[in-house]
Amino acid sequence: MKNLLGLFLVLAILVIIPTVDHVFAAPDEPGEYIDRRVLIWNLFFRMMVAAFTVGAVVSGTMIWICWRFRESHPNATPTEYEKSGAEVGPA
Amino acid sequence: MVLELQKPRPVWQIMFSTHHTDVGLLYLISSIAFLFMGGALALLIRAELFLPEAQLIADAMTFNRIFTVHGTTLIFLFLLPSASAVGNYFVPIMVRYKDMAYPKLNAIAFWMIPPGAALIWLGFADFTWYATPPYSIISAPGPAADMWIFGLKILGISSVLGAINFVVTILKCKHPDMSIGQVPLLAWAFLSSSLIVLVAIPTFAAALLMLLTDRLGVTGFFNPAMGGDPIAYAHLFWFTFHPEVYVLVIPAIGMMYEIIPRFSRKPIFSKSSGIFAFVLLSIVSFSSWAHHMYATGMSFTEKTVFMLGTLAAVPASGMHVFNFVATMWNGRIKFLTPMMWAIGGIALFFSAGAGGVANAAMPLDFTTHDTYWVVGHFHLFVMGTIAFGTIGFIYYMFPYVTGRMYNETMGKVHFILSFVGTVLVFFTQHVLGLYGMPRRIFDYPAIPEWIAMNQIATVGAMIIGVSMVIFLINLIHSSAKGKPADIHDPFGLGGKYYYPFESKNPHH
Repeated sequence: MKNLLGLFLVLAILVIIPTVDHVFAAPDEPGEYIDRRVLIWNLFFRMMVAAFTVGAVVSGTMIWICWRFRESHPNATPTEYEKSGAEVGPA
Repeated sequence: MVLELQKPRPVWQIMFSTHHTDVGLLYLISSIAFLFMGGALALLIRAELFLPEAQLIADAMTFNRIFTVHGTTLIFLFLLPSASAVGNYFVPIMVRYKDMAYPKLNAIAFWMIPPGAALIWLGFADFTWYATPPYSIISAPGPAADMWIFGLKILGISSVLGAINFVVTILKCKHPDMSIGQVPLLAWAFLSSSLIVLVAIPTFAAALLMLLTDRLGVTGFFNPAMGGDPIAYAHLFWFTFHPEVYVLVIPAIGMMYEIIPRFSRKPIFSKSSGIFAFVLLSIVSFSSWAHHMYATGMSFTEKTVFMLGTLAAVPASGMHVFNFVATMWNGRIKFLTPMMWAIGGIALFFSAGAGGVANAAMPLDFTTHDTYWVVGHFHLFVMGTIAFGTIGFIYYMFPYVTGRMYNETMGKVHFILSFVGTVLVFFTQHVLGLYGMPRRIFDYPAIPEWIAMNQIATVGAMIIGVSMVIFLINLIHSSAKGKPADIHDPFGLGGKYYYPFESKNPHH
């Protein structure tokens, strides 16, 4: 798990920070505005690719969980808390 | 045990009670009434937009009045009071205290709602729920506009009083044996949202006073003719009302935290991450207000700061969604009505959040600014997430409030119709915005795509309308003639589960 987090951290440093740096480094002269727009669109496009990928994964996972862990599923078994009879504390 | 309707009492005894469950019941009934009043106006708006040109509504000003009161009603008179209803019922029981910290103040906070609502509904102002200056100062007809301002002022004071009560109840009145980390997540949600209210609302209270004195001609804070700046109002307004979105959404998420573990028959996956995410959301709620104002000529640096500030809400929201998904994993999920509403709410919360990411990014924000995209986005939050969580919770608390069970089939039909209707209305409105249709318009050119999408949205709204009628029938019929609920396990979940209702909380 730590390795995975480390990998994400390295990727973030390699990809996101240089992009943000480019955006901030662009001067304020009017002629440069178009360049900044392109850079921001680029950043935005990458973000949306990431967002839609995560969205598809999360939505798919939720649908699968609802199907697989429904009470009426043939493989449904009592949860470990039901088996133990332990009181489930407040959420 | 909290049972309101099983022990018939004279109405006046409930109305003038200061007990938290009685005040909660009053909040609940009034918020449901305003849900239907505001919803009826929404249907009128959608019916008008079914086709171009005037259909049902006589003129643009009447249309403006209708959508102003629609927005004001559903935000201030349905969503906020319905959260207060849940908080009043549950927070004292969850922190094991006999009542709210200040019971009389609690009753006063509720009883400020009817006069506030009367001012809004009798005035029927026309300047949108944002009270757009300089129009609201120079041209908006009185006394409607002044009545709206006074109405909002009263409702703001009510919110602040309620928030003080929640904060003191949770922090100072919780049982001595209970550490703050042991306070349940629903109560944490109310603590977080109340702290936001205490910081955010005074700014809008000041803005309302400035607006009023501007209207009286005494000052010119927001009047360009007197050297004022309408953009200053936008800052003050959004400094309050962007955090206000979190004031609404955090309790709804807290309600989902009650429902999802119960119906998954498991404890919550990670309580500490839920608490952390609530606190984080409360803080970052104040770092994003100016993303509503990218088009007002802000500098690039300001826009970047607010873009990043807005995106800071994503990790916290993601933590909640992950928590819900991980809780359901390996559970034995019973799909009864409250659980269906909670899961539907999570799915739409995720979609609304994705739209929020797009809004926060400057380039797309300029493309979608003041279009129907924005309408679709925030309605997906307020209806798809907040109202879904709240309605699910109303079903959840129904047996405890009335001692009877609601009709399960009608509840499920209500959910399915509402979910389909919500997707039809608000997803379509996103696309309509990308096609360039501006928001807040009474009439529109006969562009075939616009007409088609408006018609889809109107059909969706009517489906929601039908579902809400089913909801109302279910509530009324079941509270009078529903099957008596097994109060120890009304949903047939079995096992030993913590119910806050099992705490003794005698009337005083």
